[in-house]
Formats: sequence, C-alpha cells, structure tokens
Amino acid sequence: MPGADKEADLTERIEAFLADLKRGGCGTGPIRGSGETARETTALLRKVTAQARWSSAGDLMEIIRKEGRRMTAAQPSETTVGNMVLRVLKIIREEYARSRGSSEETDQQESLHKLLTSGGLSEENFRQHFVHLKANVIEAINELLTELDGTTDNIAMQALEHIHSNEVIMTVGRSRTVEAFLKDAARKRKFHVIVAECAPFCQGHEMATNLSKTGIETTVIADAAIFAVMSRVNKVIIGTQTVLANGGLRAVNGTHTVALAARHHSTPLIVCAPMFKLSPQFPNEEDTFHKFVSPHEVLPFTEGEILSKVNVHCPVFDM
Amino acid sequence: MSSRGGKQKKGNVTSEQEEEEQPLQAVLVADSFNRRFFPISKDQPRALLPLGNVAMIDYTLEFLTSTGVQETFVFCCWMSNKIKDHLLKSKWCRPTSPNVVHIITSDLYRSLGDVLRDVDAKNLVRNDFILVYGDVVSNIDVSQALQEHRHRRKVDKNISVMTMVFKESSPGHKSRCEEDDVIVAMDSKSKRVLHYQKTQGLKKLQFPMNIFQHGSDEFEVRHDLLDCHISICSPQVAELFTDNFDYQTRSDFVRGILVNEEILGNQIHLYVTQDGYGARVSNLQMYDSVSSDMVRRWVYPLTPEANFTDQQGQGCTHSRHNVYRGAEVSLGQGSQMEENVLIGRDTSIGANCRISNSVIGNNCTIGDNVVLDRAYMWNNVHISSNVEIHQSVVCDGAVVKEAVRLNKQCVLAYNVVIGPNLSLPEGTVVSMHHPEEEEEDDDDEFLSDDQEVGHSKDKTRQKAFNPAEVGPEGKGYIWKASMDDTEDEELAQCLWGLVLNPDPESDSESEASEESQDHSRSVSPEIDDVNAFQLEVLGTLQRGLEENIVCDNLVLEINSLKYAYNITLKEVMQILTRVVLEYPFQQQGTQLTTLQYTGSLLPLLKTWSPVFKNYIKRPQDHLDCLSAVEELFLEQDTHQTAMVKVLMKMYQLEILEEEAILKWFSTGATNDKSRQLRKNQGLQKFIKWLEEAEDESSEEGE
Repeated sequence: MPGADKEADLTERIEAFLADLKRGGCGTGPIRGSGETARETTALLRKVTAQARWSSAGDLMEIIRKEGRRMTAAQPSETTVGNMVLRVLKIIREEYARSRGSSEETDQQESLHKLLTSGGLSEENFRQHFVHLKANVIEAINELLTELDGTTDNIAMQALEHIHSNEVIMTVGRSRTVEAFLKDAARKRKFHVIVAECAPFCQGHEMATNLSKTGIETTVIADAAIFAVMSRVNKVIIGTQTVLANGGLRAVNGTHTVALAARHHSTPLIVCAPMFKLSPQFPNEEDTFHKFVSPHEVLPFTEGEILSKVNVHCPVFDM
Repeated sequence: MSSRGGKQKKGNVTSEQEEEEQPLQAVLVADSFNRRFFPISKDQPRALLPLGNVAMIDYTLEFLTSTGVQETFVFCCWMSNKIKDHLLKSKWCRPTSPNVVHIITSDLYRSLGDVLRDVDAKNLVRNDFILVYGDVVSNIDVSQALQEHRHRRKVDKNISVMTMVFKESSPGHKSRCEEDDVIVAMDSKSKRVLHYQKTQGLKKLQFPMNIFQHGSDEFEVRHDLLDCHISICSPQVAELFTDNFDYQTRSDFVRGILVNEEILGNQIHLYVTQDGYGARVSNLQMYDSVSSDMVRRWVYPLTPEANFTDQQGQGCTHSRHNVYRGAEVSLGQGSQMEENVLIGRDTSIGANCRISNSVIGNNCTIGDNVVLDRAYMWNNVHISSNVEIHQSVVCDGAVVKEAVRLNKQCVLAYNVVIGPNLSLPEGTVVSMHHPEEEEEDDDDEFLSDDQEVGHSKDKTRQKAFNPAEVGPEGKGYIWKASMDDTEDEELAQCLWGLVLNPDPESDSESEASEESQDHSRSVSPEIDDVNAFQLEVLGTLQRGLEENIVCDNLVLEINSLKYAYNITLKEVMQILTRVVLEYPFQQQGTQLTTLQYTGSLLPLLKTWSPVFKNYIKRPQDHLDCLSAVEELFLEQDTHQTAMVKVLMKMYQLEILEEEAILKWFSTGATNDKSRQLRKNQGLQKFIKWLEEAEDESSEEGE
C-alpha cells in the first residue's frame, strides 16, 4: 500500500536523522554546521506535514511537537533543531489564523493588556478544518527554507559597513558565517585577521587556511596569547552556536576568553548569527544542554596509567 | 534455525558495482564460549549483562550500525532465547533499522571456529565482513580500516585474509586485559603481521629470525596494542576454518596462517587506531575498566545520557563531574554523588551516602550512610544502611542487609541475600546456585537451555545456607573458582582476571630456570629441535667410531636427521663442528688438559674429515665453521692454545682453506674475548705462517 510505505519511509528518515544527531557532532568528525541541521530539520518537518495524517491544525501541531521533542532529546546541545520546530509551529498558527479570515493586525495584537483583560484561555483551539491549510503551510515552510539558504549571504552583504581598511580583526575558531563575512569585505578592503586556534579541536587552523586562500593576511595564535594580542586589535568578530533569550551566547570553547579580553581593552565585539540560531531558552542551569565529548582530545588514551587517576573533561561550548 | 527481524535488501545491480554496493555484513558472536562470568552468566547470557545499564550486545550492535554495517548475523548458543527476545524488542529489529539483524541459534557451537564453520556452510557472507564478539564496546569508525583492507585485496589478489583492529595504548593501561596482552611483530610499511604472540605475563620472549627476512626493511615490534577483538575478514576466513578443524579461536587462526605462510601464502594485516575506543569485556576486571571508561565518556557518542537504544525512560541527565541521573531519582539529605556516577531511574538513595565511580541500576533502594566506591549494581537491588561496598558487582535482585562490608572484588549473583553484620573477604563470589550442582547437570544445561536452570535444583539436595558465610539472614552459597588442572598451571583464570599463582616458577625466576615448562612453551620449537639434533649427531658419531661406519654412511645419517628436525645446512655444519670439538669432553669428562684434549681430538678430526668436507664447500661455509670453532673456544677458555692446533690440523686436512682463515682472522672481532683470542701467540704465529705460505704458493703459481 503506498500509504503505509510512505509512512514507513518517513519514520525511517526521522530515525536516520535522530541517529545522525546522536552520533554526529562530535568535535573530531565532520562537523555538521548548524545551517545544515536547520535545513534538514525544516525539510523533515515539511515532509511530516505532507505525509502524516492530520485533519486539523491542532493535530498537525501535536504531531510536530512530538517529533520535535524527540529530536531535541536526541541532542540537547543542538538548539537549531528546537528553534526550527518552534518556527514551523508559528507558521502553522499564522496560516491557520489567516485561513480563518481574521486580519493579521487584530490577531497580532496579543498585547499584555489584552491577555490580562481577556481573562480565561483564548478561544483558539485550532480545531477547524481548512482545505487549503496543508498547501499553505507547505508553501510557508518552503519560504522559510529559502530564507535559511540566504542567511549567510545576507549577513555577508553588511560586511563593508563594519570593516574598514587597515583594520586588525580577531576571530575565534571556525564559523562559516564569519568566514563569508570576512571574505566579502576582503573584496574591496584590505585588512589583517588574527585567528585564535581554539584548542583542543583547533578549528582555527582550517579557518585561517580558508581565509588566506582568498588573499587575506591571516595570523594564527594560540589561545594563551589572546589577551596579549588584544591590545592591537580593532574589532572582534565571532560566530556562535546559539543566541540565548537573555542575549547571552553559547559559543565554541575559548570565546569566553576572547570576550573578557575584549571587554578589558574596550574593543568592540560583533557577533554574526543567522536567524535560526536565536533560541528562546535561558541559561538557567549550568549543566543543561552542555556538550562534553570524548576526553580523547584533551588527553589521549595512550597516556596509560595516569588516566585512572585523573578526571578528564572536554567541553565543547562556552556560555 | 534463523529468524528475521527486518526487511530484506535485494542486490540487483551489475556485477561490476556489486562489490561496492554489497551491503556490509557483520558476524556477531553472542557467546563467549568460556565460563569467565560464571555464576552470573548461569542466569543471564553474557551478552545481555548490563554495562552502564545497557545490555552489552546493544553496544556492539550500535558500533556496527554506526560504522555502516547493513546486515548482521548474530550467533547465539547459551540461552539463545533470551538474547533473541531482547533483540526482537530492541530498536535493531524495527523495520526502520538501517541494520538488518538475523539471529541464528544452535546448541552445537562450542567455539568461534564452530560459528565460522557454520557461516561457511550456510554461505551467509558474500564479501568482506566484520567479525566481533557480543561484548565488544567501541566507537571506532572501521571504514578507514575497511578501505585499506579492500584496497589490499584488490592490489594483491586476495592474499590478505584478515585485518585486525587494534588500539594504541601503553602497556599497563587499565583497559588492557592482561590475558589478551599480545606482542606483535609487524612490517611497518605494509602493516603486515609477521609474528603474533600472547605474552601471558612472561618477561622474555623469543622471536624466530626468519620472519624478518621478508624483504621489507622497516619492522616494528609492538607491545602497546590493545586487542579490540574486531576483525575485518574476507570470505576466505570462513573457508579456512572449515578446512582446518582444529582452529577454535582467533589466535589459533592467526598462528596457523603465520606458520603456514609459505604453503598457503595468506597474510594477516593490522590496523592500529589512535582515536576511537574499543575493548572487549572478557572478565570482571575489564568490566570494571570499560564501565568506568564509558562513564568518563571515552566511548562518546555511546554515552549514558544519549540513550542510543531508544528505550523509553532510559534517558538520564548529565551533570558536572560525570554524574548521570535517571528519571525519578531521589537523593537523601547530605548524600553526595561525588564523581563518575550513573544512577538508573526510580532509584532512591538515603541520607549521608557517599557514592563515587559507581553504576547503579533501575529501581534500587539504598539506605542511609552507605559508602559505594567502584560498585556496580544492577536492577532492583536493595541495600540497607551502614553498608560499604568496594569494587564489587551486585546483580539483579540482591539484598544486602545492615552493616555489611563487601571488600574488593566480591560478586553477589542474582537474588542473593547477605545478612546483617558481615564482612565478606576479598574475592568472594556468592550465588544462589550451589557450586556442586553445577558439575552434576553440566551436560543437561547445554541441551536444555529453554528451561530455567533454577528448576534443576529439585534434583539436588537443597543445601542449607551457611550463616558463617552469608550472614544470619543470608541466602546463597560461596562459589570457589575451580582450579582446573587442564588450564595453564601458572595462570589461574578467575572471574576477575589473571591470578598468577605464587609458585616458585614465577617470572622473576624464569631467567634462572630456563628449562621450566612455561618457558619452553614460548620458546620456539626450533631450539628444541636443535638440541635434539645435536644429541642425535653426537650419537651418530659415537656409533660411527664404535662400529667403524664409513663416512659416507655417516653423512647419510646426518642428512636424514637434518630433514627430520628441519635444520638448515648452515646450522648442521655448525653443530657438527661443535659436536666434534666437544667430543673429547663428552668421552672423557671436562677435566682434560690441553694436551690430552688435542691428543684425542686430532685423530678424530682425521677420521671425520670426509664428513666435514661434505658440508664445507662454499666460502661462506668456511666462515661459519670458523665462527663455530671460535665460539667453542671462547667458552673453553683454558684450551685456547688448543685452538691453534685444531686450526692447523683442519688446514692440513684441507677442511679449511687459508683464505677463509685469514678472512676470519681479519674480520669479526666482535667482543673483547674474541679480540683476546686473536692475540693469542700461537694463533698469531699460525696466521703469519699461513700468510707466508700463501705468498709462497701464489708465487709458485705465477
């Protein structure tokens, strides 16, 4: 039966994605950029919308919430997954509202005042069935996907406003967004980049090679030298893994050092982050959604007997 | 008997692409064919024992799936039903699993060899496959090794039969199993295994020199390898096992291939990984280290909070210092989970407890004031207050009452009760199965593994529990590991790993006792042969003298001995020289004066000169003979003056040529003693005389 096959196919894709999330993303293997994760999540959600059986928006949202919970549980440190799920849910709500016919303005006005005065729960329970809801939702998700594709370019286009000639710019580790940002500016301006290598994964090396290929003067420094060099730096530009709800960042290990050094020297710090990295989470518990990988990077297994007497940790992110 | 748990993949591509597109297959042996985990494994097969609250076979399957295996054959023997049930409920038998699992059971498997013979008989593998045991925990990405293996086979036309995966780790590392400690001699460039030997605790090892003559010039002898028990095998491996019925384990196979290399031409290669973790839980010592490695996240991404088995309710949160807590864990006041602790769900811990480096299963209850250090507790364990547990394993359903102290390396098997106010000495194993009952129904167990083994208790007398052993309210029998006589005499294999018997034949004295049994096991068989050959030659020469046998016949005899003992020609000649030169000592004792010695030796040399001439033909032979002579006289310090006479006689009898003697004299003074030898007056005179003689003869020749 084609229906059952499709469902099986869908579950298989979801399982594969979950397994990938669980396994991938360790520091040494091919790192999946957050952009790709976001894109895959959205594509998967689109498939779910297209193939799952649902009769009203409420059902669809339930299904997506369930899948979303599974995906975030698989890799809690990968927040883009959760972010995309939330965005898709928002899309569904919007489309539903539009189909219901109420104009956009009145609905958006869910101001605090209205919430207070309205008293009980809102009447929306998304039970109405609309014929074209599916098509609309899928179309909106497609728009979201195109937006995702264009984020890096959008950011890079603003590069010229921020980078001036003969500036010294510092960056940390490897970020695709920052790379594109700097490469775009390099077309018209000449400047110097200092990259902190970011042990133990040392992604700074890769970043430096990529930048120097396009003709930008690059220097790689060890993490210990960040403070020493900071006095010579005009700007610091970094990428991040997540932007948290209070404005805080969860970025790669070593960013905290750079931020503190920059503050000490009053150097301006710019963060380049595409919209799928914005997360509604707060950094309340210090332990949640942190990622520790195999301590192999820090102290290799071959070190032998010392390992039984020593605790080795290898965190991936800084808050 | 095979049952499927997944959808079938059909390979219907052209034969050219078939090699790359064939699904990667794996053979997983879910039975270890030994009793290292008895009596725990009496109730539960080893592959299902929990490590970090997850069955061990799940780790192996996860490792295989993440490395790209698409079809796995799981072979079970002992308690196969339990394994089958577990697998059918797990995520690998869901239709969406990328890895198709086939479960094959049989009661007749007794070793790895049997399993592979079955693989060959059923023609299950079409291509290269990965061979693992069911208790391997690893996160190694085998695809690199697989690529190298396939490349080698393509280039060398299927000479390479197997690639073994090892992990680099220094000796003495706690995750290195002492029983599996292995020394490997390998060719650095081609990664080929030249010699493979288990060290078994020895400090001196012998390597046959012929392995280093294979043409390459870079060799490595490595002791820093941890055996992951993961092998990439070609289909020929199964065939080779069928051909050789006596191969039971992988080591047999490796040794067989290396020994028969000239005949069969097969080679074994190695792949050493630095990143990645792989280890096999072969005894409780390894269980301890692999468990702690896992809790310390060495096996990332197979970490406890990842819940890679997708079981409901299995997830836990990861906190600082590697503390993992499952759902609904309650902690009493003042209790501390210090570091590297994993607690399963629904467990409640009392007040003022201190827990470190431990793994606690689901549904456990722990009382107050409990100290747990390196304790491994499985599900449904009940521990009362004031208990101390150090480096022990407590299985499902056990109850530990108040004020008990479990010292190191204790094991409490299923459903055991240990009474209040007791301190168990180190290394105690307590089980509900009586040790004697095991021997009685030995045969039955293997045939009828469907029945609960516990029912067989009706047959035996129900023995009372000994309160002195298990406490006033205790239940259980103390289990002593039976010291099998058939096992190695020195190394007793108990649950916790090697226990070297404190016998006089321990390692530190093995230097003195070179003839001791264990040493002779590791000494290559060639040296035994050489000794035997020497004795035989001596016997032959003696008989020759007594019975006046013609020299030709002596030569014949020596030649046949050479073939019988597989001695090389060069060695024959050296031994012959030695035997002859030692003959007077043999006959008349060692207290000869030089004069007596030469008196008896020189006639002998004359008698046996045809024998010598038969063996000394090429210039190299002369040099070898001379070095044997030198060696002998170096040992016999007092008779060095005799050496001159010997050499003179040999020269006169035309056994040795002057060029060879001169060459030997001018080269090869390797140590002080031989230099001293050469300074000997008589020798110097002799050499001078020789040189003059040579000059004369060459003048005459012109």
